[in-house]
Amino acid sequence: MTLHQGRGADTARQKLSPHSRRISKKPMNKSIPYWNPFLETLPRERLERLQLRKFRRIVRWAYEHSRFHRALYEKAGVEPDEIKSLEQVRLVPKVEKSMLRPIQSKDPFPYGDALCVPLDEVTEFHQTSGTTGQPVYQPDTWQDWEWFSECWATLLWAQGYRPHDRVFLPFGYNVFVAFWTGHYASEKIGCETVPGGVLDTQARILKMQELRATAMMATPTYVLGMADAAQRKLGIDPAKDLFVRRITCAGEPGALIPSTKERMEKLWGAKVFDHAGATEIGAWGFECEAQPGGMHVNEAMFLAEVEDPETGDLITEPNKSGKLVISALDRLAQPCIRFDSKDIVQMSPDQCPCGRTYKVFKGGVIGRADDITKVKGVLLAPSAIEDVVRSFPGLSHEYEVVVEKRGDMDHITLKVELAEGSGQDASSITEKLKTELRFKTNLGYEIQTHPYGSLPRYEVKAKRFKDLRKRGDA
Amino acid sequence: MTRQPALTEIAAQVDQLHRIAQELYDRSEDFPALNRNLKRILASIHMLRINLEEDAD
Ligand SMILES: [Zn+2]
Repeated sequence: MTLHQGRGADTARQKLSPHSRRISKKPMNKSIPYWNPFLETLPRERLERLQLRKFRRIVRWAYEHSRFHRALYEKAGVEPDEIKSLEQVRLVPKVEKSMLRPIQSKDPFPYGDALCVPLDEVTEFHQTSGTTGQPVYQPDTWQDWEWFSECWATLLWAQGYRPHDRVFLPFGYNVFVAFWTGHYASEKIGCETVPGGVLDTQARILKMQELRATAMMATPTYVLGMADAAQRKLGIDPAKDLFVRRITCAGEPGALIPSTKERMEKLWGAKVFDHAGATEIGAWGFECEAQPGGMHVNEAMFLAEVEDPETGDLITEPNKSGKLVISALDRLAQPCIRFDSKDIVQMSPDQCPCGRTYKVFKGGVIGRADDITKVKGVLLAPSAIEDVVRSFPGLSHEYEVVVEKRGDMDHITLKVELAEGSGQDASSITEKLKTELRFKTNLGYEIQTHPYGSLPRYEVKAKRFKDLRKRGDA
Repeated sequence: MTRQPALTEIAAQVDQLHRIAQELYDRSEDFPALNRNLKRILASIHMLRINLEEDAD
């Protein structure tokens, strides 16, 4: 018998009438600092037991439902039930993005055999940007989507978003996952969520002013670009004339590069927070309101391992940078198990004052394994250059770094722009910049100063670091 | 058992909620509006379970 037939159907209809809706007399306590007060403060030992239990479960799920994972684990001789401790997690083979591409040519179209659910269960399609090759497709079920937006809700709540906020998303949503789940999470929290998609920058700024938006989400490049456009094209000072008091950054490092964060916070009169995530992984990391100079890992939903990029050994001590290998513990359609994220991170020795027991990565994602490159035998992270450039008030937000071979020698050119109307002498800035860069990065640079507005502008993600020694980076 | 009693009670009620939603879903194959909304409800209930999950239950 189906539900709409038979005895009692009328009574059921009456009971479902909108007049029977109740609104709770007890409003939610907005001062609770944690989205999940239980998981976010779970003592370390219990948190790790939960992670192990979830890890075993997701490995078993993948083993039983995906031909790709089963073949991978069988080849490595791993049985899901053999994993008895977090140390043994490392018996499970890692997955790299390059392994996911060939899978997609297999059935079922278009995802291939890492898919763990029937195609009918898939409700969301997204793909990676494809900047490092053919894009990887990411299927999600509605369940996964609930989970993805829950991870975002955790971070937005931790950054102070509450139901009274009016959140503006100045971003053209599309096949990339960027900000979709931020949008859903904002709704889930109860914020009024404004899609600022197909508008140009000026129209977005005016709409934010008109609606008195209190929060927004954007890439650091765009946060700076919007402030620039507001001031120069509209005569609007975001800190005084707009109402935005918190900004969540994604997509690029910047919100945890101290001088970039300071610029953004000053221009907008807002607190700026970082977050980390990826299409294939989920939203795994976030800066909390305490702004501890780093990012928490959402350890109830993810298992994060840090390993030495050269030897592959596990790094357990703080203050030592390594590559992040990460597992999403509850994502089912196309599991992410021991995924080589290529993100470079470093554990903080300190407990965060916010009270969360989740570990903190100092400085957030401090680079990409692909970007951190040896120049003249010295390891160079582009974020270190950005921190120096943006600490000079006489320079604009834009810069470009070009690394190339001149003869047998590596050569670095740093192109910077003078700030609009700064009236500063280029040669004195150049000298100070050289000294500061030498001090911070141990390398010498050829500095080129350019007039304001002459370097390329980027709408979303910027490509400011060009290593011409690598093919395809020109 | 390490969980606070209140959470254990809530988790038990969530299990009841899941049982009811699952029963309704299993009977809704001829009623798309119920079937698809129940599917979403089940996903939300699963999220509740994830939010309350501990190592020792
Ligand atoms: Zn914190």
